[in-house]
This record gives sequence, C-alpha cells and structure tokens, in this order.
Amino acid sequence: MNPTPIVPTPDALPLPAPAALLHVLLLLTFTLHLVAMNALVGGAVLALWLRGRAGAVRGAADVAGRIGKALPVCVAATVTLGVAPLLFLQALHGRFFFAASVIMAWPWFSLIPLLIVAYYGAYLESFRGARLAGWRAPLLAATAAIFALIALIQVNNATLLLRPDRWPTLYFGNPRGANWNLGDPQVVPRWLHALSGAVAIGGLLLALWGKARRGSDPEGARLMRRVGLGALGWLTMANVAVGLWFLLALERDVLRRFMGGSGHATGLLALGVVSALALIALAARARRRDQASLTPVTVVAALTMIVMVLTRDFARQTQLAEHVGSLPVAVATQSVNIALFALLLVAAIAIVWWMVRRLARAGR
Amino acid sequence: MNYPVWELAMGGGALIAVVSILHVFVSHFAVGGGLWLVVTESVARRRRDAQLLDVVRAHSRFFLLLTLVFGAITGVGIWFTIALVSPSAVSALIHAYLWGWAIEWTFFVIEIAAAMVYWYGWDRLDRRVHLVVGWIYFVAAWASLAVINGIVTFMLTPGEWLENRSFWAGFFNPTYFPSLTARTALALGQAGLFALITATALPRTTARAWCVRWNAAWVLAALLLGSAAGIWYRGVFPGWSDAVLGAIPILPLVARWLVVGVAAMILLALWPLLLPARWNRLGAALLATAGLLVFAAGEWTREAGRKPYTIHGYLYSTGLRVEQEEHLVADGVAAHTKWLDPRARPAENPAAFGGELYRNHCACCHTRDGYNGLRPWLAHWDDATVRNLLPRLQHVRGLMPAWHGTPAETEALAAHLRTMRSAAAAMPTAPAAAAREAWRVSCGLCHTTDGFRPLRESLSGLSRAELSALLDTLHELTDAMPPYAAAPAQRQRLLDQLVALAAAPAVAPVGAAPGGDAR
Repeated sequence: MNPTPIVPTPDALPLPAPAALLHVLLLLTFTLHLVAMNALVGGAVLALWLRGRAGAVRGAADVAGRIGKALPVCVAATVTLGVAPLLFLQALHGRFFFAASVIMAWPWFSLIPLLIVAYYGAYLESFRGARLAGWRAPLLAATAAIFALIALIQVNNATLLLRPDRWPTLYFGNPRGANWNLGDPQVVPRWLHALSGAVAIGGLLLALWGKARRGSDPEGARLMRRVGLGALGWLTMANVAVGLWFLLALERDVLRRFMGGSGHATGLLALGVVSALALIALAARARRRDQASLTPVTVVAALTMIVMVLTRDFARQTQLAEHVGSLPVAVATQSVNIALFALLLVAAIAIVWWMVRRLARAGR
Repeated sequence: MNYPVWELAMGGGALIAVVSILHVFVSHFAVGGGLWLVVTESVARRRRDAQLLDVVRAHSRFFLLLTLVFGAITGVGIWFTIALVSPSAVSALIHAYLWGWAIEWTFFVIEIAAAMVYWYGWDRLDRRVHLVVGWIYFVAAWASLAVINGIVTFMLTPGEWLENRSFWAGFFNPTYFPSLTARTALALGQAGLFALITATALPRTTARAWCVRWNAAWVLAALLLGSAAGIWYRGVFPGWSDAVLGAIPILPLVARWLVVGVAAMILLALWPLLLPARWNRLGAALLATAGLLVFAAGEWTREAGRKPYTIHGYLYSTGLRVEQEEHLVADGVAAHTKWLDPRARPAENPAAFGGELYRNHCACCHTRDGYNGLRPWLAHWDDATVRNLLPRLQHVRGLMPAWHGTPAETEALAAHLRTMRSAAAAMPTAPAAAAREAWRVSCGLCHTTDGFRPLRESLSGLSRAELSALLDTLHELTDAMPPYAAAPAQRQRLLDQLVALAAAPAVAPVGAAPGGDAR
C-alpha cells in the first residue's frame, strides 16, 4: 500500500477574494451555524428529557411541547446557516474537502436523505405532536438520533479531510465510497465534544427563552431556566472530560503545540479551559438564584464558543499546513461582487429582522 | 484526474439526474408558488372570500412542508451530489462563482425566513404586513433563481468568460435570459400544477371551482410563455441542429418527450379550465406525471447539450481542463492521473492497471451495465475493434472527450475492457434486425443514415462488392475512421444493411429508413 499521501493540486482558477477574508467569513458563519445547531440538537435532547420527566415534574410536558414546536425553525436556521460555511470551506480547502467527501461518498451523500427525514420528524412533532400520543417520545428520540448521526457524518468528513495520509488506504481499499474515518482516534471524542456542547448551549438558550417568557408564563419560565442552566452546567462539566480525551487524541504535533509548543495555541486552550470552568460555576450560581442575571453566563458561554471555534481552526490549519505547500495561492479579488454581497447581506439581515420583529410583536 | 472517482454502479450521471430532477420540480414550485400564494391571498381578501382564504392557508401549509424541507434540502443535495461526481467542476465553479453563490445565499436566507413568517403569521400579522411578507418571499425566491440560473447556464454557454474570465460575462451568457424566462414560466406553471393537486382534496365549494379554473389558467399561461422561451433558448443552444440530427443519440428522443410532455400538459390543463367541477385526482396525477416528464426532458436536454464538457469549452466531464490536454497528448494519461492504485503495476498486470485508468477516465460517465453501460457494447466488439476505437473516441456520436493514452496505456485499458466483457452478444435471428444491429454497433457509432453525418447519400448506388471493398479500406479515408474488424458473420449482416441503404431513396432527415439510427 502506498503510504504517500495523494493531495489534489489547487484549482487552476484564482481565489475570488483574499484567503484571509474567506477565512474570517468561514469562522463567522460557522459560529452562527453552531449556535443554531446547538439550539436544534440541544432543544431536541432537552425536549426528550423533559418528556421523560413529564410524570414527575409539573409543567415538563408543556415545556417539551413548546420546544418541539420550535424545532422546525431551528432546523431551517441550522441548514441555512450551514450553507455559507460549507461554501467558504470549499473555496479555502476544497481540494481536501472534495477528496475526503468522495472517499466517504455514501455516508456523505446519505446526509441528505437523513436530513429530509429528520426535518419531517421535527415538523411532525411541531404540527402533530399532541396527536401522536405514545409515539411522540419515540419519534422525538428518532429525530434527535438522526441529527446526532448527521453530526457524526460531518465529524467524519471534517477529520478525514485533515488526513491525506489515510486517503490511499481507504480509497484503494474501497473506491465505492463506503468508507468512514472511524479509525481516526479523533472522531469519537470530537463528535461527543460537539454533541455535549450542543446540549449545554441548547440549555443556555432554553434558559434565555424562559427569561423572555417570565411575564406570560412564570412557572414554565422557571422550569426552562432550571432545566436549561442544569444542562449547561452538567454537560459543560462532562465536556471538560471529553475535551481532555479529544485533546489527547490529537496528532502528536498538534498536541505539542497546544501543550506549550505554540504560545498562540496554548493560550487559546488555556482560555477555553478557564472559560469552561467559569461557565460551570456561573451556571450553578444562576441556577441556585432565580433572580440572578443571565448576562454573565451568556457572555462567558459566547466567549467559550468563540475560543472553541478558534481552537478547532488552529488544529485544522496546523494539520493541513504540511500538505498545503508553500506556493502562494493565486487571487483575483472580485471587489464589486464582494461589495454587492456585503450590501445584500446587510439588506437580508434588516429584512429578516423586520419580519421577525413584526411577528414577535404581533404575537404578544 | 485530480480527484478520486466515486465508483457507483448506477452511474454518477444517473444519481445527479434523480436528485436534480426531483429538486427542480419542487424548487420551481417554491418560486412560482410564492407568487400564487400572495396573489391569490390578495384576491381572496379583496373579495372578502373566506372560503378562498381558507384554501390559500391550507395550500400554504403544503407549500411550507414541501418546499422548505424537500425543496431546500434536495437543493443542498444537488450541491453534495455534483461535488461527489464532478469535484473538479464544483471546484472551478466555486472559484469562478463563489460570490454568485454567496449572493444567492443572502436571498435564500430571506426566502426561508419569509416562508416561515408567512406561515406562522396567518393569524398574527395584520393583512397588509402578511401580504408584504408574501411579496418579500416571492421576490427573494425569484432572485435566488435568477442567480442560480446564471451559474447553471454558464456551464452550458460560458460565452466570453472563456477568453476574459469575467464573472459578469460568464453570468449574463448567451443562454441566460432565454433560460431565465423559461424557468420563470416553469415556476408559474408549477404553482398552478401543485395548486391543482391540492385542490382535489378541497370540499366542493364555489371557492374550489373558482380556484381550479384559476390554477388551470396559471398552467396554460406558463406553458405559452415557456414554449416561446423554449424556442428562443433553442436558437442559442450550442450545436442544437447537430443535436436534433442525432449527434447525441438519445437527445432527439428526449426532445420528443419534451414536446409530448408540454402537449400533454396543455391538454390536461384544459380539463380543469373547461370542466372544473369534474377535476379529480386522476387528472392531477396525470398532470403531475406530464410535468415531471417536461422537467426531466428539459434538464436532460441541457445536460446532454453540454457534452463532453461540464463547463463547456473549459472542463471535460472527466475532470480534464481543455488547456491540460496538450500535456496528456505529450505524456500519456497516467502521468497526469493522481489516483492510480500503486498495486496495479502496468508491467505485471496490464488489466488491473487498465482498470485504474478506466476508473479515472471512463467511470465518471460510464457504468458496466447501468447508465451509459459499456458491457452491452463490448459484447459486440472484439479486441481489435476496441483498440481501434479508443484513440478515436472524440469522433463518436454521444460526444466524448478524446482518449490520450500512450499505446501501452491503450493496451492496458483494452485489456481491462476485455475483463468486463461477459460473452459475445448473439445477433438477432431475424435478418433485418441482425442487419440493423450490425449497423448500430459499427457505423452507427458515428453516423446516422440521414441525420447527423449521414451516409445514405454517399453510399447511394454502390453494389455489395463495392461496399465490401469500402469496408476494407475505411481507415484509408481519414484518420477518424477505424479499420473495420468485425467477425465475418457480422460483416455480412452489416453489408446487408449497407446494400439496403444504398438502394433505398432518401427519406426525411431524421428517422426510420432501413438502419435509420438517428436516435
């Protein structure tokens, strides 16, 4: 077997913008995608948990139903905000991404039918949940499980694209695309890290939603806060352990950089650990005191997410560096189109903001 | 070439076709249906027609569930699929049209948000705001179509982009406006078609009767506009006349399906227009089938018309850029193919090495037995025929890229193709059928009788002996012609066919003369 990595050559056409701009847009839109994904996965898991506690906790079924109603909006936001980072990823790292995708073609392609099924599952829960009786919790569990499977597929691709050294063995062993990257020790901890992080942040979003509902439904709002902050604290705690597992599963060279080899990487990791610990403490505190402001915990959670995104990015850059080569990438900046995009993006945000505001006001 | 090739038994092209036809069928509804909702809601509100308003509301729920889930996700699905089947093409498109896609994404964001606000706002927003949101939805959805149309038509007719690499030159390319007009018309037609489907579930009220006729009018108006746009589009379609004459064997048939589908839709749409009370599920099912046929044939025509390129004049469907071709001519193909299994050594196992070449250069379009299957052809060809054909692939009908393998690589590929051949195909027992088959697997590869590269006229009046002598010297006519090397029995059947052709008078350009294979 050929141990030499096969790396596709860069596209013959120039990049239509400086790589730095594409990089910023990738990180920005990916962070937004993560927030929506966390609302979705966290929401589905917490709704399922609340449904399981419906007999023991008053109001749990109501809150579960309310989360269930919102799931389709979360799917729409996750998908819509997922398109942009995938676009910028393909522009920046397309040759790695395309090759990895083809090698795991069937799992990657299956993401589409799985997403359609899970999306309809979310709509079924939202529109018809009350009429599903005994099928409601199993449906929700199946929907959440499919989203978790989709996350596993994404993690497989995101890790496989970093490992051209694994490509020849996998591809020539099975050119029919029936490959996973499960032999890579990063995959499982990275997947669990993303999932538990999603439930934690989903919990925070539930608590914030509860805060917004304090006036109209004080009892439900209290439950949302308690359950949400509980999820945030406990799962962040679990994630510190999973994070350690993930860290140790990184390639030696990358790990070395996070362990003092690079000031930038080590600083990021330290900041991530400190902010995660602060998050656990702040979540516990806010959960004990009903009147405590959620602002500190929200700010620290946002900081933790941003640090995690940057840490992830650093690990990717480091792993790809040896395959990228030192030749400069040709760039032919399409300034007018970038300006047009920026203008339309601002317009889109304003229009969406206006529509959602009208709807929210009308609902009061 | 640059990327691994996904070995897919059904063929990558077939998978793209399934995903994209289902997607465009719904995504055009997502555009036109948005206009239908807001216009019909306006009518209902102006007329204070509560029944009609209920119809619109019920339809908007169906619209939401179909377009936001199936429509939107299969759209992402096309992107996934083409990146798996033609990664080089997607990479080129991402580099050339990243900002086109990014701009389209901003419209997509508005579209998704507006669809949800429209649905959730039925009982919450005041009427005026609800209608404004409906209009925002439609404008964003149409703008999204207008942007994607630029990228899709660019692949077929890149126009001046080939020389100047200008984003806008490629975007507003020769087929942009006719295609946009046709797609807009199709979108309006889909609005009427799907509303006719949901109308079959409505109680038989006056609102239903009005709505059924209203929807039929949408379909008919759209078909008229679409047909006009189709004629316009045909005028700028590259190589249309060759295509009609059979340059791509399947295309005349597909074009016929398109015409049949449009005609069927017109006839079926007259039913709800004239007899709205009798409109039923059978009619809806037939109309939907005809609509699907129109979309399938339309998209297939566009895809086939691009052959042998994924980006016309720039990138072949094998992932080879036109400008790279000279390097392959000089060095052979293996030197420029990254994904060759090192275990398949050419000297030790030429067939296995040929298999690697096959996967990298043939499997992106061909399968063994499925879509564009090779085995049915190989069953008719011996090794000499295969070896003679490979260096002349660019001349066959169906439009293929040239094979630039060195003699050793050609031998290896032929050795692999030999392993794919199961057994020699039996010729039909009926003499006329055997003669047609002998024509189809030899002359018919590149010629038709009366259409594309017609042979009838040049063979006219030749005797069997003259035709036989001609078969022996074909390769002396031009380099593009391979020597004829079939088995004696097959040769006799081919001569039967050529004799009949030489003796028969000319008929209409495309069609059914003896051996008339203008498919």
